[in-house]
Amino acid sequence: MSRVPENPEATTSIRDESDPQMRARLAELEKTWQSPRGFIGWFTHVNHTSIGKRFLITAMVFFLLSGLLALAMRLQLLSPLNDVLDAQTYNQVMTVHGTAMMFLFAIPAMEGIAIYLAPLMVGARDMAFPRLNAFGYYVYLIGGTVFFLSLPFGLAPDAGWFNYVPLSGPEHSAGYGIDVWTTMITFIEVSALTAAVELIVTILKLRVPGMSLNRMPIFVWAVLVMSFMILFAMPSVIVASSFLMMDRLVDTAFFDVTLGGSPLLWQHLFWFFGHPEVYIILVPALGIVTSIVITFTQRPLFGYTAVVLALVGVGMISFGLWVHHMYTTGLPLMGRSFFMAASTMIAIPSGVQIYCWIATIWGSRPRYASPMIWVLGFFAIFIAGGLTGVMVASVPFDRQVHDTYFVVAHFHYVLIGGAVFPLMAGLHYWFPKITGRMIGEQLGKWSCAVTFVGFNLTFFPMHQLGLEGMPRRVYTYLPDLGWGDLNLLATGGSFVMAAGFGMILVNIIVSLRSGEVAGDNPWNASTLEWATASPPLNCNFAEQVSVKTANPLWDWHEQNQRAMVSGLSTTQRETIVTTLLDALPQSVMILPGPTIWPFVSAVVASICFLGLIFSPWFFVVGVFGTFATFVMWFIPPRYTTDPNADLPEEAKS
Amino acid sequence: MKTWIDIDASELPRLAPRTHPLWWGILSAVAIEAAVVANLLASYFYLMAQTEGPWPPAGTEAPPILWPTVFLVLLPLSSVTMWWAGRGSDRGDKRQLAIGVTASVGLALLALVARSFQIASFDVKWSDSAYGSILWTITGFHFTHVVSAILGTAVVAVYAWRGYFNPARQLGVIVDTLYWYFVAGIFVPIYLVLILAPRIL
Repeated sequence: MSRVPENPEATTSIRDESDPQMRARLAELEKTWQSPRGFIGWFTHVNHTSIGKRFLITAMVFFLLSGLLALAMRLQLLSPLNDVLDAQTYNQVMTVHGTAMMFLFAIPAMEGIAIYLAPLMVGARDMAFPRLNAFGYYVYLIGGTVFFLSLPFGLAPDAGWFNYVPLSGPEHSAGYGIDVWTTMITFIEVSALTAAVELIVTILKLRVPGMSLNRMPIFVWAVLVMSFMILFAMPSVIVASSFLMMDRLVDTAFFDVTLGGSPLLWQHLFWFFGHPEVYIILVPALGIVTSIVITFTQRPLFGYTAVVLALVGVGMISFGLWVHHMYTTGLPLMGRSFFMAASTMIAIPSGVQIYCWIATIWGSRPRYASPMIWVLGFFAIFIAGGLTGVMVASVPFDRQVHDTYFVVAHFHYVLIGGAVFPLMAGLHYWFPKITGRMIGEQLGKWSCAVTFVGFNLTFFPMHQLGLEGMPRRVYTYLPDLGWGDLNLLATGGSFVMAAGFGMILVNIIVSLRSGEVAGDNPWNASTLEWATASPPLNCNFAEQVSVKTANPLWDWHEQNQRAMVSGLSTTQRETIVTTLLDALPQSVMILPGPTIWPFVSAVVASICFLGLIFSPWFFVVGVFGTFATFVMWFIPPRYTTDPNADLPEEAKS
Repeated sequence: MKTWIDIDASELPRLAPRTHPLWWGILSAVAIEAAVVANLLASYFYLMAQTEGPWPPAGTEAPPILWPTVFLVLLPLSSVTMWWAGRGSDRGDKRQLAIGVTASVGLALLALVARSFQIASFDVKWSDSAYGSILWTITGFHFTHVVSAILGTAVVAVYAWRGYFNPARQLGVIVDTLYWYFVAGIFVPIYLVLILAPRIL
């Protein structure tokens, strides 16, 4: 498809602002892609930059709220027989903290950053299904808010984030708490699934010409792997929580032993989701880290193919490990041994990645700006978490520390090290792209240092507490057990860590107001999201580009020329569609504009899901209600006036 | 920096019903639902493995075979009419399209009637045993899918009768057909596991 320009000087970029004709073109294009203003207008936005930002901000709010719950728990555990929280409240706080951190913060934050960046990185004008994107966001916003509000209303679930039966069954948990969990988690997973579908199709079909799969940025690969994992993991938790919902609502007997049910079925279904879930959070984080390593060493990645295979390998192996959460449930020895081997195997692709990062950094002169500092923090914490991971993967060791604070320490090392630190690194790295201003560099580094110290003070002592036998999920402990000092230390550390996150918040607010204005590409990065203005144009790219190499921005600079796509409309939302493997131009997709219907659909769906807490008939109402709103959403817009309006001239016969 | 035009997108088709990203989107939705069915069937087998003695549990009859078999025949038949409708649509024959999709909706409605007879003849209630629970859940899940496929196709039929579709603008027909094939096809493993297996195993 590509041809060498006969006379490169003859063509000019649309961003050549000296040319008034080009300027008018860009203005028209920007108007086409403009999101409506005003309060009502807010509910009609469909642009991925707008939706992605909302996902990120909402996830950060849930992160702060769940973090405050963690502080409340730490205050309660400050000293033996403390009475800050009573047992019932403690259980609710603990359950909401765990569930919200996983379902309302970690996954949506990763989805948000992917929704914001993946289309920019592949050079698309928007995502494949912008309205579905908006729908997913409202589902998440409403579901998450209802879930969180259950706490002040005293209706919160209290059976832990994995909500084991029979404790969560109708017999042992009366009241609405567990119902809030089952319905809202199922509902929020719908949003994860829509985001996954959206990301897969955008990445596979909307890459700019020339961006074959082997030229795709590693972050995009990571997002693709994450999306496929969501696709195959979320159905299990949806099935599990639907079973539990029905057990509680219409007296089915899935988990009722007296009628032939099996509580272990819950554990299998939950962990078949729950284990990949950890990697759903980790894989995009690895993509963030790789992007930052490449940019701050100013080198192409060492072992691109190996890293891609490692990411895919992590994704696949993670589906074969779920039973290692169930070593103490009396499984046959053969089964335990198999899953022990599988669990240890995950260290292989993880190791490949770490060596590729080391090789990339080796002999370079990394620029130690704040994103890179956060990445270094990630290395330290995540590797420590990985080491305890190898320990608990081993059956004999796990049976000793199962359900103790050792496990709490392990998974906080893995999750905060493996997801929160990379997210913060990404926040510092892409802040200029999203807001147009640089984030404060000094405060960025200091907040990292304080968080790092606070984190280790909080969670490192928990390893020891676990080895000493302190069980997790207890609301208090007796003085003569000797756990007081380490708990005091952990509580002190948690406030230091909170101060670190407070500093990040301050840094964000200050930088938004008075940060240094960032150019298009302040870090001299190589990927396409830096090839547009900061913050990005409404249409993302004034002209979609055509790429020839894996690091387009660096190569454009070196060759002092770049190729682009022309002939896209300025009056309707168009983006180029390419073939799946080689990204050869195939067609042009016309994307739908702003509309209120996704919001209406989400509200109707929310009412029905909420209703399910009280009556099964809301299922029927929900099927027909959401269907009606979907029809309104899909109705061809101009059909009512002119049935041929969207056809090209030659087809209007 | 010099900028040159590599690709002129004005020549590329705008309405590409066969290569449209929505097709991939529906395929992903199908993958999700197939994963749900896989989870449901795995749960069925898990509960079966956990039950000592016969399956279905002693005192419960396996579901009668007549009505599900009628259902099993009617659904693929409705897929044939869908396929025939799509062929008409490819040729620009609006009438064949409209008749085809309407016939599919009709056949699927008949299938639903057969399905309802079957459900009415279940020997077990969902609250009687774990077997009853999983039987009703899988059946209900598929029933809901047939209902939603019928609703979606009914909308396509309305537009077909009003002459909206043509060879360039038949994306709606193509993705609806894809979903329809899935709903018809996924019943085969369900039939094998729920209806046939208890009789031959």
